[in-house]
Amino acid sequence: MLVSLKEIAKYVDISGLTPEEIASRLTFSGIEVEEIKTLSQATNLVVGKVISCLPHPNSDHLHVCKVDVGTEILDIVCGAPNCRKDLKVIVAKVGAKLPGGEIKAGKIRDEVSNGMLCALNELGVDPKFLKDEQIKGIEELDDSFEVGDTEVLAKLGLDDVILDLNLLANRSDCYSLYNVAREIGALFNRKVTIPTYEDEGTYVSEIIPGSETDKCDEFYLKEFNDIKIQESPKWLKEVLRSQGIRSIDNIVDIGNYVMLLTGQPIHMYDKDKLAGKDLTVKDTYSTKVVALDDKEYEIIPGDLIVASGDTPSCIGGVMGLKNVEVDENTKNIVVEVARFHHASIRHTSNRLGLVSDSSQRFVKEINPHQASSVLNLVSHLLKEVSVYSKESKISKYDTVDHTQKVIECSYSYINRRLGTDFDKETIKNTLTSLYFELSEKDEDNFTVKVPFSRIDVDGKADLSEEVVRYNGFSNVKSALPYMETTVGGLKVEEKKERAIEDLLLNRGFDEVLSYVLISEKDHSLFNYVNLDTEYKVLNPLTEDRKYVRKNLLTSLLRCAEYNLNHKNNDFKIFEISPIQTVNKIESHLVLGFFGNEYRQDHFAARPYDFFDAKGVLEAILTMFNIAESRIKIERIENSKELHPGRSAKIILDGKILAVLGELHPSIKNEFSMKNTTATVLEMNLSVLFASRSANNRFTQISRFPTVTRDYAFIVKEDIKFLDIKRELKKASSLIKDIVLFDIYKGEHVKEGYISLAVTVYFTSMDHTLKDEEIQAVDKKIREIISLKFVGEIRQ
Amino acid sequence: MTDYKSFFDEIKNKVLSLIEEASSIEEITEIKNKYLSKKGEFSVLMSKIREAEDKKAFGEAFNNARNEIEATLEAKLNRFKEEKLNESLKKESVDITLPGNNYKKGIENPFYKVKKEIEDIFVGMGYTVETGPEIDSDKYVFELLNIPKDHPARDMQDTLYIDDTLLLRSHTSSVQAHIMEKAKGKPIKIICPGKTFRRDDDDMTHSHQFAQIEGLVIDKNINLGNLKATLELFAQKMFSKDSKVRFRSSYFPFTEPSVEVDISCFNCHGKGCPTCKGTGWIEILGAGMVHPNVLKMSGYDPEIYSGYAFGVGIERVTMLRYGVDDIRKFYQSDIRFIEEFNKKVEE
Repeated sequence: MLVSLKEIAKYVDISGLTPEEIASRLTFSGIEVEEIKTLSQATNLVVGKVISCLPHPNSDHLHVCKVDVGTEILDIVCGAPNCRKDLKVIVAKVGAKLPGGEIKAGKIRDEVSNGMLCALNELGVDPKFLKDEQIKGIEELDDSFEVGDTEVLAKLGLDDVILDLNLLANRSDCYSLYNVAREIGALFNRKVTIPTYEDEGTYVSEIIPGSETDKCDEFYLKEFNDIKIQESPKWLKEVLRSQGIRSIDNIVDIGNYVMLLTGQPIHMYDKDKLAGKDLTVKDTYSTKVVALDDKEYEIIPGDLIVASGDTPSCIGGVMGLKNVEVDENTKNIVVEVARFHHASIRHTSNRLGLVSDSSQRFVKEINPHQASSVLNLVSHLLKEVSVYSKESKISKYDTVDHTQKVIECSYSYINRRLGTDFDKETIKNTLTSLYFELSEKDEDNFTVKVPFSRIDVDGKADLSEEVVRYNGFSNVKSALPYMETTVGGLKVEEKKERAIEDLLLNRGFDEVLSYVLISEKDHSLFNYVNLDTEYKVLNPLTEDRKYVRKNLLTSLLRCAEYNLNHKNNDFKIFEISPIQTVNKIESHLVLGFFGNEYRQDHFAARPYDFFDAKGVLEAILTMFNIAESRIKIERIENSKELHPGRSAKIILDGKILAVLGELHPSIKNEFSMKNTTATVLEMNLSVLFASRSANNRFTQISRFPTVTRDYAFIVKEDIKFLDIKRELKKASSLIKDIVLFDIYKGEHVKEGYISLAVTVYFTSMDHTLKDEEIQAVDKKIREIISLKFVGEIRQ
Repeated sequence: MTDYKSFFDEIKNKVLSLIEEASSIEEITEIKNKYLSKKGEFSVLMSKIREAEDKKAFGEAFNNARNEIEATLEAKLNRFKEEKLNESLKKESVDITLPGNNYKKGIENPFYKVKKEIEDIFVGMGYTVETGPEIDSDKYVFELLNIPKDHPARDMQDTLYIDDTLLLRSHTSSVQAHIMEKAKGKPIKIICPGKTFRRDDDDMTHSHQFAQIEGLVIDKNINLGNLKATLELFAQKMFSKDSKVRFRSSYFPFTEPSVEVDISCFNCHGKGCPTCKGTGWIEILGAGMVHPNVLKMSGYDPEIYSGYAFGVGIERVTMLRYGVDDIRKFYQSDIRFIEEFNKKVEE
């Protein structure tokens, strides 16, 4: 909302207040002034008269002029086509600062030039307010301007300062200059004068207002006859220009001006074009209409239509229709002041893609208690800018309850809510200044009547806001709350997540962040860990953000892809994020290894592989005290995304805990990681956290020596090491651990066979092991290898 | 009487000069074998003690000679060994200016760093950290927060919907509503971090996904001054020890009064600089006293209970704190960007 201080000064005394003071006070009391603008910042201007104008000897379009500026005669070179002798012009003297730069003395193609003759846009006026010839040429001043007058901007009405208000939803009342004036008056304790006028109508219009829907609860009209449509007077044009509105003609301009003053949208009909003797609001039409912008719009039931004789005449509150347009031949007009329900206007306006000043006001809700005074203001102003023979009395359809809102409150409540100690007088004066009518019930309790324009004020909490915004938030005393002491903290799940984060950060993984919404293609990939149904966005902004992800792997790969494309070649990354699908919310971990691990700088490279991911899995399981024996590890059949021989699915408590592995070459191609290694893991942390994990308790360490013995088994290469290990452990309770130290294939080992070398650790808790005991277990180990695994032992 | 001393001295001097001339471990070892081993010359001489007249004098002279040879020999042998070791160590020497082996720690996207820091500050003040669903019903995202059916905030234009009632939450205030429902009229002191979504095009300052931390305190006698003190403490921990807080009147449907909260610029301490656009103040979050309607809808009597709420943007704070100019950088997660934040301990 733009506010011209020149216009505001007509309604509230702002003498002695700087625009900055006004802006700052408004801003801190909830009406943010985004910008203070001046219409023109030009300096050092004077009215001059061209006393001679000759063609420039070295140019086909420049003129060499002598210009009388009262105190002296200046030589000025000017390029405007309309520059001529005897013309009164705006002269920017040497040293003048214009939006385009400073004017300097000099020569233009060898001719002396000590100044510039100006067009209005060169002074900073938006070209949208200017006619073509005003932009192409210099401004031609009329005889009312006197040579030598330096108050050029004032004379042109360009000395105005404009406040640009950024209004929040609760202060829609300030879309009215009257209400802004009242607000400024209240804040600075200045006198406010809002004019009121009587209904001077002499007869009752034959047009009857009405509404058949509760989405229009108020419809007032007034008729004006034999009206003359013409150009608006200068003062009105200037006000509108200051407010950023282009002048059209006196009738349209008055509509806009009244809306600016009161916040109430006005609509005008050519009375003689109305199909019937009524203007009735209905919301049942299914039809097509042509609006004032010459475009066709489809109307559906629910849209508010003002109809006359059952013919649509206006898309209520949004835009008038072509068939009843006021044009240069119009003689009689009907002026409408109505209230249309904000939500209905919003739906219609959004659906049709048709936004007007009027629709914007209705969407923000208007004051329904001022229809008569608005119409009387229209008639008062029309008298000033036009000529008409007579006007009708106001006719109305009105179901609005016009009783004033009353709120019960107390002084102590206000201070209690705010943490302030305002005295009674302060609170009373504040509310009274802001136009609340206050009456005290007793020492502490009072009631207020809410001013009609403040449709946002509903209860006593609102009153506390009025008091604090008026007196300043610096009155609020800082004091931490007194409450019963409680133990704060993170949820258990987040603590566990942080432990995993720490593990990974300490192992050199960087932690990344990614988007929850992904494309259709990405959403179809890597669905291993979560098989629940995903959510799909009803109104996505782009195709790329259409699905709510149910797994994290694609997000991670997109991130890796971005990094690889930006020449980050070797990295380890991870992310932990909640994943929400139709039936559950879970926490997932995803991580990936790309490129090589280097021992130093970029040498001693080791390409990442499957076992890197497996290692992280094991570290996490160890951290959560989940024994290896509790998990099931399976190959993933027919995976198109993971390397079939180097990937695995991990099952814990019968649920899918994780998937891990090297990427399938075809997927690597798609994510532009063809020439690098890519190993990933995704884990459902909720499955991990929900799993029973043994308590961390101290167990005795044996006092007796550990005996070790090395074995090398030759077995068929499809035999799983884990199966051998689990089986051997069963052989004796003396076996504390079995540790792999070599895998060998090749010479001395048959084709299709593999040699596994392990160290077996034997310990007893209660005695030193005897050779016979070890021998007995050794025998068992040999049996297991040869019988269960059909292998042989080399020692 | 035979002069044993002269006899042994002679032998000794002969051997010492041999030792003197020896130039390798091998030669020394040879001398050692020849004279000092079990079958060496000294063992042979020793057997002659039986024939000696004065066995004591013989033994003394013998031992003196043998000991001196042995000591000299060992000393020379050790010197050779040491030289050899030094030589081999010299061969093993490395360029000590080469880079060390890689023990680099991973770095978290600064987003997480700030999120955790904010959480820890409030946990330190006794707040509990709560979370809620990212996809939630309009009841919790709007209705219970005093944003009725026809409110523009609910528009399809601004909010991402799943269906008529489910949507991607546009603020973390929805968690308030869940917790209030569960607390059944008991006091509350929580913060709720989480992702939020708006139907915005992504650019330097807008993101369709961003994150907030919502704070809510409800009890008897909670007032706006309590909010101010809490946020002051937060700003002082988060930004600068001398941070001050300023309120400006604002509007949110679920708080009354509502305020925009500015903190004094931590960069110029209020003098005016590019960070604060010359004003000395930086807008940091929105807050207010919980609207009585919100309390009522969640089963709290607004005549007895009151509360404050605030919502702070995690990316916003991070951008301010580190001078990050583009919100998209958090979501691109360029390793080079992340690794700029490699300092663990900050003052």
